Amino acid sequence: MLQQPELVRLLTEGHLSLKNCDEDCLTGNSQEPKQSVDEEGDPFNFTPQLIHLHKDHEIFEDGDIHRHMYLQDLYISEADDKPPLSVSEFACHISGCSAVFSTLEEYEHHYNSLHRHVCCSCRRSLPSARLLDIHIQEWHDSLFTILAQRQDLYQCLVEGCGQKFRTSKHRKDHLIRIHKYPPDFRFDKTKKDRGTRQMKRQQQKDTAMELVDDVCESEGVGEVMCDVLSNQLEQGESMETHVSEEEAARMAKSASTEEHADLSEAAHSTGTSTEPLKPRYSYRVPTTVCFGHGSVRGFRGRRGRRK
Amino acid sequence: YIQYRDVDHVSSCNAKILGYGNNWQLFNNALRQARRDRQLVSKRLLLNDDEDQPGVTMDTNSGEQVRQILFHKLQHSGPEREGHLKALSKALRDPSAQLTFIKQENSMHLLVGLLTGSDATCRLQAVRCLHELSHSPHTNVAPAFLPATPYLLTYLSGQSTKFTELCLYTLGNLCPDSDVVKEKLLAQGIIPALANCIENQRHNLAVVEAVGFTLSQLLQAKDAAEKIIPMVLASSLPSHLISVLTPDPKFGLAPAIECAWCLHYISCSMKDNRVLLAHGALLQCSSLLVSLGGAVAEGNKEEGMELLICPLLRCVGNLLSSCPVKDLNTQVADIRIVVALCALLQAYLQAQPALARESAWVLNNLTAHSSAFCSALLTLNLVPGLIQLLPFSQGINTMILRVLANVAHKKKELCVQLAHHGLLSALCATLKMADQEMVTLSMDVLSVLVVSGPQVAEEFVRQGGLSLLEAIQYNSEGEIRQRATRLLEHHPLSSSTYCSVKTSVQFALFVEFVLIQNFKN
Repeated sequence: MLQQPELVRLLTEGHLSLKNCDEDCLTGNSQEPKQSVDEEGDPFNFTPQLIHLHKDHEIFEDGDIHRHMYLQDLYISEADDKPPLSVSEFACHISGCSAVFSTLEEYEHHYNSLHRHVCCSCRRSLPSARLLDIHIQEWHDSLFTILAQRQDLYQCLVEGCGQKFRTSKHRKDHLIRIHKYPPDFRFDKTKKDRGTRQMKRQQQKDTAMELVDDVCESEGVGEVMCDVLSNQLEQGESMETHVSEEEAARMAKSASTEEHADLSEAAHSTGTSTEPLKPRYSYRVPTTVCFGHGSVRGFRGRRGRRK
Repeated sequence: YIQYRDVDHVSSCNAKILGYGNNWQLFNNALRQARRDRQLVSKRLLLNDDEDQPGVTMDTNSGEQVRQILFHKLQHSGPEREGHLKALSKALRDPSAQLTFIKQENSMHLLVGLLTGSDATCRLQAVRCLHELSHSPHTNVAPAFLPATPYLLTYLSGQSTKFTELCLYTLGNLCPDSDVVKEKLLAQGIIPALANCIENQRHNLAVVEAVGFTLSQLLQAKDAAEKIIPMVLASSLPSHLISVLTPDPKFGLAPAIECAWCLHYISCSMKDNRVLLAHGALLQCSSLLVSLGGAVAEGNKEEGMELLICPLLRCVGNLLSSCPVKDLNTQVADIRIVVALCALLQAYLQAQPALARESAWVLNNLTAHSSAFCSALLTLNLVPGLIQLLPFSQGINTMILRVLANVAHKKKELCVQLAHHGLLSALCATLKMADQEMVTLSMDVLSVLVVSGPQVAEEFVRQGGLSLLEAIQYNSEGEIRQRATRLLEHHPLSSSTYCSVKTSVQFALFVEFVLIQNFKN
């Protein structure tokens, strides 16, 4: 930051005349052409412009009141007279998530906890990249389904353990026996009233997941899922609808199996969530975009090739 | 709390906010609303020589006193007359007494008679009475002045300082109250009278201040642009106003303050300010801001300095919008104006954010079309300081971002420098703000930055910009989503070298699958 002494020095050091007046004379009043390609539908419409403010403009309000006070011989303490300086708030971009924050850290925490590791297919939010990977693998990967029949592929959720199991039930047993997870630990659907803080604490524990039986089989693993998704979207369905259908299907299944964990309140897009932040994925996902960069692995490379 | 000067001042202030239950906030809000309704009228009371504070007599008897004086005491000429008039003027400070006065038949004629009489001290006391009347909060007092105005105007060319001052402030107080009075004054030649006055009394700064005040009242009329300002511009007033701008070290800021506000009312009412530009208004105002900015940066905050800085900022801001870019080097010769503006921004940010916002506005007008000023921001190392202001709302950050956007739009080389000074990381923060204008503007700036050079695009990606833009694609505003998508798909960002970790794992699993199948076969 330019310290005041530096400014003082500049201001008291004689006269700095306007250099490069030539280039101003040459270009005159016109702006330089924008460097980006000026295609049709270029949405960036900022242009430098002179702003003329008329007498009654609201920007002049405070100054006018101050002048009035001076003329009317009313001296006031600054603390009373002026509204205090305020700082811009931050707000979560995800449409439907109305969370607002006063600091960048709060924003980042919220975003990283609830929106960063989001499964493209089922919109669930996972607390970490690793757990997201495991989720995608176990829920949306048909190859995994096939291979898991012959090998132990269900990873222990505790980082560093490294053990693998043939079924999710075996893994759950392991988690309870070896890693001392409580037996009544929530391997089920997430409760709607869970807050962010709780989630952070239970980060390691919540992710026993059920295999999704309705994954289509096809050649390219990742691509299939996304195409299915994008086809559905192109039909004009919102993610919300899609999720609820999936959710309904899963909920029916989870009645029989115990292991149905879901970390994200966000997946309950139609639910009336009661926690304060209420992140709800009731937004429309643009059809050409998959929430890929920070979350869904493997779908990354597909972007741009979809019709 | 109100910074009381003493007991009399307390009662004066209290009287004013009495109507608001002594609630300062309410009073303040009422003023703001009055301004929005274009009903904010400012009046000035010139105190008696023996008065220090504007004490208000809460004398319930003053109405009766007025009647007594008018109908009995003043009927006889003699040495006591002066004393009676003095008593009358004191009584007339009470608003209810003012009403009583104008209700009395021939009361104004009586005063006018004394105003124009042969007794000089009576004349002075008579004008003092008129001045007290003019200060009335009741708008129906002003029309009663019609018999007096031609005389008040005539006396403007007189030599008595105190007398002239009182005439001027009286006229200034009357202008906003009554269109009829204003029309009469214009017809009776108030503008040439003011011009002559300020010319003849140049050395007398108290009178100059009073002329400035009166003119400023006239210039705030609703129809000023059509009826009043052209007359003012045609007179010698502009050059006088400009020459008074430099504060006299002994007398203080007051005359300069009044003249600066006059220039502001002119320049904000006119789209085309060529006349003022020709008189060197922009040159003078901007030079003054440089010296004032220096004083403020040094910590010399003389009391009331912002009362002068404010109108100067507004003049420069609005005059710039009439000034062709090619004339900037003659109209704003000193490039240090940008330094001064940054100094003012920092100095007033906490205490008077509105003033900081106005400074930022002027910076915008300076940088909008001038490469020289844009380059200056960088060469004088002012950009980091500006970036630090981006968290502050109430219009400050949007204006500052406009300034930075102006710079980015000028030249590619400037973009690279802006990125180097930290604009990219600042944008990563502003893109997360709740203020949609900030988000939109941030993306507009980003769109220019990322095409300026590959290193800029890469730096943005390195700072996590891509995932941020992806998140923005889910924003509820279409315009915002559009921009984010555009940035991701059509700008160099889409060709970043980020590679997916999972792709390779998927591939490995696939290979395994194939191997297993082969094994089965």
